[in-house]
Amino acid sequence: MKPRSLFTGFLSMAFAALLLAGCANQMEPAKKAIADIEAAIAAAPDAAQYIPDQLGGVTQKLADLKAKFDQKDYKGVIAAAPALLTEAQGLAGAAASAREAAEAAKAAALEALGAEWSSLSAALPAQVAALESRVNVLSKSKKLPANLDQATFDSVKTGLTDAKALWDQATAAQAAGNVEAAVTAARQVKEKADAAMAALGMTAG
Amino acid sequence: MEEKKPTPGAPTAAAAAMPAENPYTQWYEVKPGDTLWKIAKQHYGDGSLYPEIFKANQDVLTDPDKIKVGQKLRLP
Repeated sequence: MKPRSLFTGFLSMAFAALLLAGCANQMEPAKKAIADIEAAIAAAPDAAQYIPDQLGGVTQKLADLKAKFDQKDYKGVIAAAPALLTEAQGLAGAAASAREAAEAAKAAALEALGAEWSSLSAALPAQVAALESRVNVLSKSKKLPANLDQATFDSVKTGLTDAKALWDQATAAQAAGNVEAAVTAARQVKEKADAAMAALGMTAG
Repeated sequence: MEEKKPTPGAPTAAAAAMPAENPYTQWYEVKPGDTLWKIAKQHYGDGSLYPEIFKANQDVLTDPDKIKVGQKLRLP
């Protein structure tokens, strides 16, 4: 072998060795960068519940980064990692803000339900009592008034029975602390009581 | 001992003790020619139910045959 070609071969081997060493040098930082991003995502456990889209964006970018790593593009991983790490680190704060907003909205909804319950619970017993009084009197009548036929009166009586049963459900739900169920049942009571009053030609108070 | 005079316009103890009127109470204003029988017939289809109206208005009626035009009566 000529000394010149020996030198060239040595140079090529040295270059390849340097290249390999360079790659190996970048693999660990790339691995660490990915681990840091994963840790930042794990530090935001509420993200899936409160900011799923934002979390989805970050995990997709992380998957892309891992694909780069698998392709041994460590340089590319290292270049893209800082921005993604910042994004991942922002997840915890964004999830906390979203959770606070969701809790505030829930509290406001509960407050509105409480106010609706107060209003319904103040009015419905009186409305049902007035209806019941009229139904009791009409039940004693030998002949219904001209503006009321028997079928309508029968449906009013059924509606009143249903309304009273629903009111019992509503008060039981309220006593059990389930305001949402209480209001739902109370709304049905109101609907039935209003329909019965209209059928009897009674006016709302 | 000096007796406390009620403040004009203030609710008396008796009024305060009265149960509040049901806001869904149905009212009827007596017209010329009305009788409790006629009112019961019109609203209940049966004039013989007039005692129901009389009973519901005992704070303003003492005799079922004596009602006044313009009087507002509860219709139970």
